[in-house]
Amino acid sequence: MSKTKPSGLIHYEMLFIMPNKFTDDEAQKVFKKVGELITSLDGKITLENYWGKKKFAYPINHEYYGYYGLYEFDLERTLIAKINDTLRLDKEVVRFLIVKKDVKSEEQIKKDKKIKEKIDSKKTEELKEKEEAKKETKKVSKKKEDEKKIDLKTLDEKLDDVLNIDNLL
Amino acid sequence: MKNQKKTKECHFCTNNLEPDYKDAKNLYNFVNYYMKIIGKKRTGVCSWHQRKLTVAIKRARKMALLGFTHK
Repeated sequence: MSKTKPSGLIHYEMLFIMPNKFTDDEAQKVFKKVGELITSLDGKITLENYWGKKKFAYPINHEYYGYYGLYEFDLERTLIAKINDTLRLDKEVVRFLIVKKDVKSEEQIKKDKKIKEKIDSKKTEELKEKEEAKKETKKVSKKKEDEKKIDLKTLDEKLDDVLNIDNLL
Repeated sequence: MKNQKKTKECHFCTNNLEPDYKDAKNLYNFVNYYMKIIGKKRTGVCSWHQRKLTVAIKRARKMALLGFTHK
């Protein structure tokens, strides 16, 4: 059974690349243009993030750099195809990726907070234990050094005794 | 004598994270020198997160955040 609904808003995330031929100001204008495209289709933009110029992991169209932009928005599921078509034909956008994103409910956010606190407390405890263990090892090593010193002294005495005996013989 | 295996914990479960295609720095830990995906036996990632991780790595490759091969 498919869970698709006939209509309804979906939370999307879109990352896209603008070509290197633009300057930074021009790329920001293109970034705003894409945002207007979303709002023109009655989309609600919840997050916009302009990453700026970044180096690619591999060359795209013989270019090594590009400008990245990120949008998060709510849109009707039937209208996403329009954005897909317009961006695919747009020469001001090299590549784009539209992904469904789950929206976290308030209960989940609360749960996450609790888990985070637990993890943080665990980490601090581990750090404390490590420090204590270090101190103990230092104490042990100091004791060992003391024993060695005593050993040397006793050795000297013993040696003296042996020498004395030799002299006597 | 069998070699005693070290019990590894899932990186995403212990730190309460989700694999994200946008932070390539983290994804580099689960990729070979040749940019091949490392199996969960070596990294210790649980199978539920490994499935999400592979999708994230493939998405990052498409957006040129991760390489398909090494240079």
